[in-house]
Amino acid sequence: MAHNISKSVLLLVFTVVIACGIYPGAVWLVGHLFFRFQAEGSLLKGPDGQVVGSKLIAQPFTKDEYFQPRPSAASYNASASASSTLAPSNYLLRNRVATMLGPIVKYRGGLRAGQLVAPDIETWFQQDRYQGNPSIVAQWADLHNGLAAAWIGADTSHGSYVDSWAKAHQAIVADWVKANPSTPQPKASDLAVVFFETFSKENPGRFPSAVTKTGADGKPQTSIEPVKDGSDIQPTFFDMWRQDHPDSDLQDVPGDMVTTSGSGLDPHITIENAEFQLDRVAAKWAADTKSDPAKTRNEIEQILQVNASAPFGGLAGEKMVNVLEVNLELRKRYGALN
Amino acid sequence: MWILPISMLVITTLLAIPLSRYMTRIMDGKYKVPRFLGWFEQRLNSGPQNWKQYTASLLIFNTVLFVFGFVVLALQPRMPLNPQHKGLLAPTTIFHTVVSFMTNTDVQHYSGDVHFSNFTQIFFAFTMFFLSASIGFCALTMIIRALRSDSSVGNFFVDMWRVVVYMFLPICFVTAILFLQQGSPMTFKSFRQVSTLEPAAMGTLENGQPNPQTIVVGPVAAFVPIKQLGTNGGGFYGMNSAHPFENPTAFTNFLSCVAMMLFPFGLVLMFGRMLNRLKHAWLIFGVMMFFMVGTVVWAIYFDTLKPNPGLTAHPIARTYEVFNADAAGGKQAVILPAVAGLPVDQHLGNLEGKEMRFGTSAGATFAALTVDVTDGAVNAEHDSLNPIAGLSPYAGMWLNCFFGGKGVGMINMLLFVVIGIFVAGQMVGRTPEYLGKKIGSREMKLAMIALLVHPIMILLPTGLFAGTSWGMKAESNPGAHGFSQILYQFSSSSANNGSAFDGLGVAYGFNDNPNPAPMARQWDIASGLVILISRFLPIIAPMAMAAFLGAKKSSPFGLGTLRDDTSTFAFLLVGTIVIIGALLFLPVAALGPLAEHWGPLPFGG
Repeated sequence: MAHNISKSVLLLVFTVVIACGIYPGAVWLVGHLFFRFQAEGSLLKGPDGQVVGSKLIAQPFTKDEYFQPRPSAASYNASASASSTLAPSNYLLRNRVATMLGPIVKYRGGLRAGQLVAPDIETWFQQDRYQGNPSIVAQWADLHNGLAAAWIGADTSHGSYVDSWAKAHQAIVADWVKANPSTPQPKASDLAVVFFETFSKENPGRFPSAVTKTGADGKPQTSIEPVKDGSDIQPTFFDMWRQDHPDSDLQDVPGDMVTTSGSGLDPHITIENAEFQLDRVAAKWAADTKSDPAKTRNEIEQILQVNASAPFGGLAGEKMVNVLEVNLELRKRYGALN
Repeated sequence: MWILPISMLVITTLLAIPLSRYMTRIMDGKYKVPRFLGWFEQRLNSGPQNWKQYTASLLIFNTVLFVFGFVVLALQPRMPLNPQHKGLLAPTTIFHTVVSFMTNTDVQHYSGDVHFSNFTQIFFAFTMFFLSASIGFCALTMIIRALRSDSSVGNFFVDMWRVVVYMFLPICFVTAILFLQQGSPMTFKSFRQVSTLEPAAMGTLENGQPNPQTIVVGPVAAFVPIKQLGTNGGGFYGMNSAHPFENPTAFTNFLSCVAMMLFPFGLVLMFGRMLNRLKHAWLIFGVMMFFMVGTVVWAIYFDTLKPNPGLTAHPIARTYEVFNADAAGGKQAVILPAVAGLPVDQHLGNLEGKEMRFGTSAGATFAALTVDVTDGAVNAEHDSLNPIAGLSPYAGMWLNCFFGGKGVGMINMLLFVVIGIFVAGQMVGRTPEYLGKKIGSREMKLAMIALLVHPIMILLPTGLFAGTSWGMKAESNPGAHGFSQILYQFSSSSANNGSAFDGLGVAYGFNDNPNPAPMARQWDIASGLVILISRFLPIIAPMAMAAFLGAKKSSPFGLGTLRDDTSTFAFLLVGTIVIIGALLFLPVAALGPLAEHWGPLPFGG
């Protein structure tokens, strides 16, 4: 027994010296001498000589001049990698994708080929009929309780809007408490479904959304108001619109554009994804630099082709580009953003 | 599409042949080393052992390892290389992590990039990676020596030294250089803060300044090779081999797959060489390969060649009958209307949770391989795999012998061999024999104990957690997939695998975390106990079985002897595995992945 313990400790000590000292030390030395760039994290420098990020780690881009990376379940936080962990059967996955699609999907065929569907979603929403029944918002809240509750938690102003609604509709809240005796003091999120049902009845064809106006003191003020169009309607109700228009011929959006990666830090997008964004990027740069749109588009297309590569020379996968490298190239070519 | 997995399997097989020759030489002690290495070996050598002494050494060494791991994790806040001042992990998480790493399981209830300092990564993970992988290796070596009736089964400490220093160390070093060249960081710094190209897109800090991107770095290039070669699978980063630093290119992904399969392949051949039964070993190799190819093809077919069904159209309305005591006849019909598809181009398969740089079928391939060899690293999110493709990782974990973990997989296969022979013996009315040794009731009892621990340790806790708030409050996906998450966690724990459906709420985090996952403690303890039981019983019982078998007199080879190197035997083995596996696990498969696949999709809202 004592014999076993002393030999065990000895084995442990030997291994710690080898595995935690000699081995990583030797690898570090090789890295330090021969692969300094990789060993430090493949850091790239920007136009002003400052380090702007790692070649291997995705970073967010929102401006139209830049190609945008895949959405990230980790919010591009390179100190806490994460995936969405959404199962295919989870409606939240479908909803997340539909929300991204609403503002960007275009018709593929028919009279309106090439046009955005977004205006049609708004028109359909204002008519306030889904699957032949009135009240789209009420049906939305009934079908997707979780989404309705999530809306209330998404912003403090949403919560206080529902709170003030609850004060103005005490009879409805009382009825709700009678039906749910286990929750005598309902919070705003508990009341989500009944809130949207009443809201929909009182404001047909409207959805509560943040509106910014110039206040009496000249400063912009944001408040929640019923609106009939805008940036909340198109994403939120795209999936329902689609169910009412299953035969509309729509353009497919590249899959990697609307799916999150495993790490949340995938630095690449497929070339299809980049081509899909090309019109937007080229138009914006052409406007910024006041140059010929067609020429700019050609130049940027060139940049994409030069930077594109496929795993194992195409034997095992699709062509893709590194988003940060391409955007750095754009900055080098066209200068700083306005 | 298919080139990637095929070339992985072929190249690993080709590498495993010379490697197995080398391994045999080392484990049989037929090698010469420089004098200073010999000095270390002398210090460790406690003399020839019998199987009981060998097992005792193995258990005592694991105890020492447990204490060491616990101390290192508990000291994290006081140790150097911790500029971000990462604190103390919750005690249950420390328990779970130590147990998980020392048993080669590496289920992680924490995220390396969030919760570990570089000191902990090096002194905890590196030590555990090298040693836990060697323990299974040594157990198999002992079993082989017992089966060939050696006078002594060797010395545990010398065997461990041989595996760590003469096998893992040189191969790890070469692999580490390759990872380094491809882009894995290798530094003792902890992080790097950068102002991104579009700084405002990262959001703003409280003082109105743009949020910098904090990039965690560390000794990753040295970490990954032993993680893969030792089939450990615990990630330096939370998202493991999906993380661009842990797996920077398609080439490193290829290398990762070859590295995790290399020793499990080689050990089967070493088994044949040491017993002088190479043909028999190749036959076992073939059976294992048959199943491995099956899981890979299954995963690619249902995940890479099929779209994510959550986004596609389901043009026909479906009706389900569900139980409802209030309705007439006790059943109620639930009608799901037809669903229109979203306009998403899915010709690359299900891309949710996949990285682009590895190649099209790389996520599905890795998912199958990592469970087959009980590595447990992941390069895609298994939670987001297509439901029925998820059956492939389940099968690998449930049967746990499609090459399986280092040593342990071959030991599991040995149990199926013994049971197959026993069943065949019963059918023809002869006393079953393996390697000329008669299989008696004592050996059969030990084999059955070893074999049944695994399903019991999966099904019992899954039932317990699925039926109580312990499991229900941890699920992050609705419906059948929630059950799948619980099932996966216990399958992975019991198979000593380490991959996970990451959505499950099992992470407590730091001890002072104000908002831990509500059931994290229960999960830490339950999963930790399952890991311990499912690691040591299935190693010790076969060691005893092999010792008893080896002590018997060899009976001469006769006309009626069941030959163990014919295709008949291969079919017998395949049949045994399929029947036992199906009997044990088809019911839970129906409740989890199959129900999700054929059930309402998308589910809930």
